[in-house]
Amino acid sequence: MVTTTTTTTAPEKIEVFIDDQPVMVEPGTTVLQAAAQAGVEIPRFCYHERLSVAGNCRMCLVEVEKSVKPVAACAMPVMKGWRVKTNSDMTRKAREGVMEFLLINHPLDCPICDQGGECDLQDQSMTFGTDRSRFLDQKRAVEDKNIGPLIKTIMTRCIHCTRCVRFGSEVAGVEDLGTTGRGSDMQIGTYVEKMFTSELSGNVIDLCPVGALTSKPYAFTARPWEIRRTDSVDVMDAVGSNIVVNHRTGEVLRILPKTNEEINEEWLSDKSRFACDGLKRQRLVQPMVKGTDGELQPCQWEDALVVAAKALKAANGSVAAIIGGLADGESLMALKDMVNQLGGEDLCTEEVLADAGTGTDLRSSYLLNTTIAGVEEADLVVFVGTNPRFEAPLFNARVRKAWLYNELDAAMIGPDVNLTYDCEHLGNDSAVIGQLLDGTHPFCQRLSAAKRPMIVVGSTVYSQPDLLAQLMQLAQKVRSGCEEGGEWRVLNILQRQASQVAALDLGYTPGVAAIRENPPKVLFLLGADEGTISRDDLPKDTLVIYQGHHGDVGANMADVVLPGAAYTEKPGTYVNMEGRAQQAVQALTPPGQARHDWKIIRALSEIVDVQLPYDNLKELRTRMEQVAPNLTRYGHVEEANYFAQATTLAKLVSDKGTGSVIDVPQKQLADFYMTNAITRASPTMAKCIVAVKKEAANKFVDPK
Amino acid sequence: MATYFGLDKFVKLFRILRNHGGIRASLYQLYRVDDLKDGVLVGEDVHGNKYYENPNLTLGRNRWVIYSPSVGTDYDGSMIPAEWFGWMHHKTDLPPTEIAPTAYAWQSGHEENTTGTDRAFMPYTTTKPKIEAWVPPKKL
Amino acid sequence: MAALVGKNGNPGQCLSGRRLLLADGCEWSIMSALSRITPVLRGSINPGASSAVVKRYNSNKVYGPLADEDRIFTNLYGRHDWRLKGAMNRGDWYKTKEIIIKGVDWILGEIKSSGLRGRGGAGFPTGMKWSFMNKPSDGRPKYLVVNADEGEPGTCKDREIMRHDPHKLVEGCLVAGVAMGARAAYIYIRGEFYNEASNMQVAINEAYKAGFLGKNACDSGYDFDVFMHRGAGAYICGEETALIESLEGKQGKPRLKPPFPADVGVFGCPTTVANVETVAVAPTICRRGGPWFAGLGRTRNSGTKLFNISGHVNNPCTVEEEMSVPLRELIERHAGGVTGGWENLLGVIPGGSSTPIIPRNVCEEAVMDFDGLVACQTSLGTAAVIVMNKQTDVVKAIARLIEFYKHESCGQCTPCREGVGWMFKIMNRFVKGDAQPEEIDALWEVSKQIEGHTICALGDGAAWPVQGLIRHFRPVLEERMATFAATKKAVAN
Repeated sequence: MVTTTTTTTAPEKIEVFIDDQPVMVEPGTTVLQAAAQAGVEIPRFCYHERLSVAGNCRMCLVEVEKSVKPVAACAMPVMKGWRVKTNSDMTRKAREGVMEFLLINHPLDCPICDQGGECDLQDQSMTFGTDRSRFLDQKRAVEDKNIGPLIKTIMTRCIHCTRCVRFGSEVAGVEDLGTTGRGSDMQIGTYVEKMFTSELSGNVIDLCPVGALTSKPYAFTARPWEIRRTDSVDVMDAVGSNIVVNHRTGEVLRILPKTNEEINEEWLSDKSRFACDGLKRQRLVQPMVKGTDGELQPCQWEDALVVAAKALKAANGSVAAIIGGLADGESLMALKDMVNQLGGEDLCTEEVLADAGTGTDLRSSYLLNTTIAGVEEADLVVFVGTNPRFEAPLFNARVRKAWLYNELDAAMIGPDVNLTYDCEHLGNDSAVIGQLLDGTHPFCQRLSAAKRPMIVVGSTVYSQPDLLAQLMQLAQKVRSGCEEGGEWRVLNILQRQASQVAALDLGYTPGVAAIRENPPKVLFLLGADEGTISRDDLPKDTLVIYQGHHGDVGANMADVVLPGAAYTEKPGTYVNMEGRAQQAVQALTPPGQARHDWKIIRALSEIVDVQLPYDNLKELRTRMEQVAPNLTRYGHVEEANYFAQATTLAKLVSDKGTGSVIDVPQKQLADFYMTNAITRASPTMAKCIVAVKKEAANKFVDPK
Repeated sequence: MATYFGLDKFVKLFRILRNHGGIRASLYQLYRVDDLKDGVLVGEDVHGNKYYENPNLTLGRNRWVIYSPSVGTDYDGSMIPAEWFGWMHHKTDLPPTEIAPTAYAWQSGHEENTTGTDRAFMPYTTTKPKIEAWVPPKKL
Repeated sequence: MAALVGKNGNPGQCLSGRRLLLADGCEWSIMSALSRITPVLRGSINPGASSAVVKRYNSNKVYGPLADEDRIFTNLYGRHDWRLKGAMNRGDWYKTKEIIIKGVDWILGEIKSSGLRGRGGAGFPTGMKWSFMNKPSDGRPKYLVVNADEGEPGTCKDREIMRHDPHKLVEGCLVAGVAMGARAAYIYIRGEFYNEASNMQVAINEAYKAGFLGKNACDSGYDFDVFMHRGAGAYICGEETALIESLEGKQGKPRLKPPFPADVGVFGCPTTVANVETVAVAPTICRRGGPWFAGLGRTRNSGTKLFNISGHVNNPCTVEEEMSVPLRELIERHAGGVTGGWENLLGVIPGGSSTPIIPRNVCEEAVMDFDGLVACQTSLGTAAVIVMNKQTDVVKAIARLIEFYKHESCGQCTPCREGVGWMFKIMNRFVKGDAQPEEIDALWEVSKQIEGHTICALGDGAAWPVQGLIRHFRPVLEERMATFAATKKAVAN
């Protein structure tokens, strides 16, 4: 589970036999893992490779030659020369017995159970169970628990594997779930009625091998065999979690995580998982143009494009664009080409980033250089002005994993927020950074003693270039003392928006200051919904074109609305915070008259007479490759290494930012759920916020 | 004799032409219903449809209707009102001209099938739309 | 439970505190003045009372009765001072310093040569177990944990030791602790043992005060501490890893083994969990020598042992006796015989509630030691002999035992959590006879599906009584079912 990089002398492998098939395994390998190496799958319920071993379901009992009793394969390390029999009479009898015991108190409600079709108990009872019952007595029944708006509990179905309990205490770092009672009265629960307050809570639904924990929003919606699955990429944060979009007849039913060891392992944050119902509300389904009465009126594509094109032509080069956090690389490319050809230069992202002298020319100044998986090798992490728990939950889960297993230490400059692990709070005064730099802060000793430290800089620091410059110098200073010298990367920027890195790679300017100073005649908003520029910032005659998929802040202030596609509805390129380009795959067609974003821009460009030179996705991606080659190297992290140059440039920074208190925008769990147009349209996210706020008033719960 | 030379056919033709109001009207009738039939006018309903009978023709072709000229070629079987329907379909041999049907208070007037017209019945969906569109908020 | 009888302070009282019903309304309250006569005394009154039994056992050597000079627990009945002064008069803390100074290897050698086997039920050779701790230290301290969570129905031996001879245990902790290089001993005492816990604490305090414990214990240069921890009343906490969990402040649920406590035990440090009796006999063995201990009882089953005789006997008692004493002699010599005579005996649970019951014909031959009872398809367990005479409803008695195990199952692993509850439901119907004869086989299979498939031995302990019942009393079950069916049919007609 934990990667240990310091391999001294490789321990000698030992030979064991799985069903008479010899396998060479590392000492300490469990029987179950050895069997997996031999290609034999041993049934299990409680064992999960990313959780600690509980060994309580007893489903994995296998016979070992010369052992009187069958052994629990998940917990028993193999010894040299063991002959494991995974299909002997003893093994089969043991499995059958355990299966029978699990089923005697399990309700026969598979027809109304949401887990039906993807239920471990169902599958394994078909494979390993008997075909008849001899249980003549009453079954046990357990009261259901209310643990929030996301997870539905039907506790009678619980087989007490404790995966959810272990997930809560190990991965999520929230000790809300536990067991009470003993014997057949044992129950999984929260003891007092309270919510499972975690940003990763949805994962227990995937973990539950039976239908005891199912998804509340998805309840009674579909059967797994009706669903079509499309592997894609999540855009709710900049982590770029891999997802499987489950859809049927043109609507997204649910989103599940897809295993990617380098990014999200097999977890998914609640926002990514449950905000998908926001894709069905507040959608822009037809073009709109503001009529003479000042109201947006639905119209045909031709009309909207002609109105937009006329304005763009008449602007005579005074064109600017702002892109939001959900834009894909393709539309970013097309928009940039079109605006540039029209003579516009101000291409901005909504998300700001401090310009510490380097601009965005050096990729190392805006990437999470250590990579997400690289955290597991670090020994000290300092967060500056970020709350990774809510800005990048899966990155935070990695940090917690490293904290738990690799003795990573964490420290925080900024508000004292709960990160689910011990984190030394260095204060929220920005002067701390200066003290760290000149070595007067007591924490400096630990920082310089660290072999593989990380400094993770968050969004708040973005507005204060001098701080980022100081941090760059600090990182460079610390880096020289690192174990691997130049190899280890200390400085990390934690991005929050899925589109940000791709936009910066393509040459967009972070922040909208340029537009505020120099308001254009036509402002093109590509999914910009955070309200960084309002109508008041623009002259009255400025025409605002909004292209996006949700009617939110941007569409509200627009004169022309062009309906685009959401991330499940278009093939798109997204670059995550570590600089890894990934491809989102189209799962659905855009609703109504909405179209793929790059195609809209391409069509518009033709009417404005600056026809873009690409007619299909392949040509467009070739163009992207010319501008930023890493954008089409899918799955690959393009490293950035110009730290020294960046630091030199950073020394030139003189402009001071405002304020000396470092704060983060998302402090509480309630701040986590709504951060973009999709989540703001999602009823589930709204319910979560209500529930979390209500939970804060629960007098039986420890305030965290 | 006249039969021998087939002159009775001409007699019949002329009769048909006369009954249809001359050559021009007969040609229009031929254009309109693709048929010129020899028969006795049994009656006419309120809509102006005329009902004919020729017992010499084979069963199933011996009763027919010529729709009201006001509808032109846009006629439909459902224009036959209920009282004539029975006679037309041989449910009875007594046309409403001979035995007037009982008029009940609850009876409504005859209405032809509206399929294909603007008044055609369209079932509406009872399911929620999968996608809820954004409605721009009204200013003021 | 019935009371397997007794008022407080009577030597024969069953101390488990959990009421075991032997038969409907059969409160075994025949309390005669006889019960106050110690077994020892009666032994001397009726010498050779059961010599016939001994002869029937095919051996030349006669085991038992134990001579007075071979007794280890000389204040078992609390007739003398249990405090330090009295204990020292009886020979406790005598030359403990010399024992410690002789060193680890010497102590281990004595224990090994004594052939002492763990008195907690499993009977693992103690010398070997303690020597597991003598691996080179990796910096972690080592601990001795004394399992005083005596909760097995029928068993009441450790309680007697802690109540009347606490210094034996305290001294034993020191000797055993030295033998395994332990830094401290934790005595995990059952929560219900309030008086015993306070006596123990007094004894520990006295020992500290006398300089026998603490820094430079007994002036030997060895630092050793003894701590008491009172449990909260869960039977499962008598299982060694569950005990460790409980001691650490967690839910008392057994851990997976490996790693064994000798590698990762309490607070993550190497630990040995030993029964009170095992620890308490260690100083005497060291003083009198392993061969003396080995000379008592049969080979591999040597030594003396505290037997608790309860149930339908005239004089329920706890008595120290030589190992390998025949069961019949044990009952007749010390417990005054079965109520209503030997012929009135129905069966005996020879080793505490978790061991299978054996019927009278097996009891005739049974020899009370590890191997002797294994030969009878049962087990010595904690040597708590529960005697049932013919007034017992054996089905109901076993059903009551299963209810106990159902109540005490920790719920962690599937076979025990689900299976014991199921067995209880079946047994409840068996008591009435409301079942089909085929279900007897089903019950047998269920018990076999539990046995050996669980994390700890509680599952086995719950399965064995049922297996014993089916093995020896199947006709009783069948007859009851037939009666029930006939009654039901008669009522229906």
